[in-house]
Amino acid sequence: MGVKILLDKAHVEGIRTYDVYRREGGYRSVEKALKMGPEAIVEEVKKSGLRGRGGAGFPAGMKWGFIAKPEGIPRHLVCNADESEPGTFKDRYLMEFLPHLLIEGLVVSSFALGSNATYIYIRGEYAWIVDILEHAIEEARAHNFVGKNIQGSGFDCEIYVHRGAGAYICGEETALIESLEGKRGNPRIKPPFPAIQGVWLRPTVVNNVETLAAVVPIINMGGEEYAKIGVGKSTGTKLMSACGNINKPGVYEIDMTISVEEFIYSDEYCGGIPNGKRLKACIPGGSSVPILPANLLLKTAKGETRYMNYESLSDGGFATGSMMGSGGFIVLDEDQCVVKNTYTFARFYRHESCGQCSPCREGTGWMEKLLLRLENGAGKLSDIDLLWDIQRKIEGNTICPLGDAAAWPVAAAIRHFRDEFEWHVLHPDEAVKRNYGLAHYADPIHVPVG
Amino acid sequence: MTKFNDTQLTEFNRLVSHYPEGKQKSALLPVLHLAQDTFGGWLSPETMDYVAELLQIAPIEVYEVATFYSMYNLKPVGKYMFEVCQTGPCMLNGSDNIVAYITDKLGIKPGETTSDGMFTLKTVECLGACGYAPMMQLGKTYREHLTKEKVDSIIDECRRTAAKNN
Repeated sequence: MGVKILLDKAHVEGIRTYDVYRREGGYRSVEKALKMGPEAIVEEVKKSGLRGRGGAGFPAGMKWGFIAKPEGIPRHLVCNADESEPGTFKDRYLMEFLPHLLIEGLVVSSFALGSNATYIYIRGEYAWIVDILEHAIEEARAHNFVGKNIQGSGFDCEIYVHRGAGAYICGEETALIESLEGKRGNPRIKPPFPAIQGVWLRPTVVNNVETLAAVVPIINMGGEEYAKIGVGKSTGTKLMSACGNINKPGVYEIDMTISVEEFIYSDEYCGGIPNGKRLKACIPGGSSVPILPANLLLKTAKGETRYMNYESLSDGGFATGSMMGSGGFIVLDEDQCVVKNTYTFARFYRHESCGQCSPCREGTGWMEKLLLRLENGAGKLSDIDLLWDIQRKIEGNTICPLGDAAAWPVAAAIRHFRDEFEWHVLHPDEAVKRNYGLAHYADPIHVPVG
Repeated sequence: MTKFNDTQLTEFNRLVSHYPEGKQKSALLPVLHLAQDTFGGWLSPETMDYVAELLQIAPIEVYEVATFYSMYNLKPVGKYMFEVCQTGPCMLNGSDNIVAYITDKLGIKPGETTSDGMFTLKTVECLGACGYAPMMQLGKTYREHLTKEKVDSIIDECRRTAAKNN
């Protein structure tokens, strides 16, 4: 069993309620943090090596260190609960089953940053979780962990839940801020960064749900102890949401020392591929990150075992590696079509592009149309090169990373599965009837013993 | 008449109170949800103008937001809206078959409403239920691990609920 510090209490009966959560040791980190003072908390988070769990993996303590503190201007912490990256549903699990863990992390982090009004920006579709969170906030308020003069410290902190309305782009922090101000979710040009001018032009820190929840064990055990879990710069634990063609889809907490093979095949995690099928490919960190064929997923290009951490998953760069991303782990078995899967992602990004930047607004639509044509057996060989060319012209040419996120999955699919794309063109009649199957790129494939 | 009643106005005031003085526009998204739920499941121009008036902002500021976010309906929808996810992980688990089955069973294509105004079918992009695919959103909750049998029982359940409320 791996180390569990976030979900260790997830299965305790009644853990959603304040009483049970408190009895199980909840809100201790608030009591401790209030005695430590803001600077010491930031210091512990820096020592922990905690990296942003939303997808970018930026060191959380460093991000906190950037916040401006101009005299007389309020600062805000905003929790990014706009979880929308296909394959990702870990924040939902955490908020649904351990709402008080998030509230506890928010109070400690708000104290560290000096935020007296903290917002949880939650995706609009998670409507029932809004009720769960608001109920938890009221319970915490009744026990003086939210509201005025928390535990007699003189620190006031209100937590508000702000419901979005269906827009992937609002997971991007400046789009989220625009949306929080009641506008369209169009990302802002940076600088100024939110740490200087964020919501209502006030200094703002935006952190992912899991990042803020991780502050609780960091304060409880100390940053140095937290950093001992994991390996290298992948400290602590990571929530993975596993889905696609696996026996046990769900949310798993891993300590980032296990191999990808163990994660897919062990009964403690995904439990292998259903119906005795073989592994074809995997998108290990949410739809934006490069898809890898089975052979490059389980072992790096150098033939070394690949592990479930930031460094190992990105070993080989985009040529032969991928990314940890948001932890949305999508598995494709031998019957799946990479062209079709890529098409659904391209359609997703076209749907979610805010439309500000031409390369993304136009490019995502072109990619969707070309992929649909290829998938339907109506494509030309030159379409594959055109597709490659379009994604190259989107990447890096937009205000926010949605353009990159749309380009990368297309690029990786062509890079590793070009023969499957060509097969769709060369065998149009077959392509509409059946899928390409495993082919050579997935060999030699791992067949677990026993 | 497009007007919130007292309970709805109390909720409106609670939502606005979350934001600093003078920043009441920030409440626009939550208030539009409230308005949509209150006034028939969609946002008519009249509803949007009323929201603008309440928040003391220009109507255009409401229109531009209402047209940006996918959860706001700008046309009338059925009493029950089946929003079936069709993105990658749901597709891998057979969401195409679920959409085809609903289309067949109710005689409506995605984007259409049954002639009795009971059901609307809509395909949507990733709703964050990838591990419990295929799935759909129905009102405030998710229906997951969908099968044809499950779809049948959801349709029956909606019809029963509607009959009871009439």
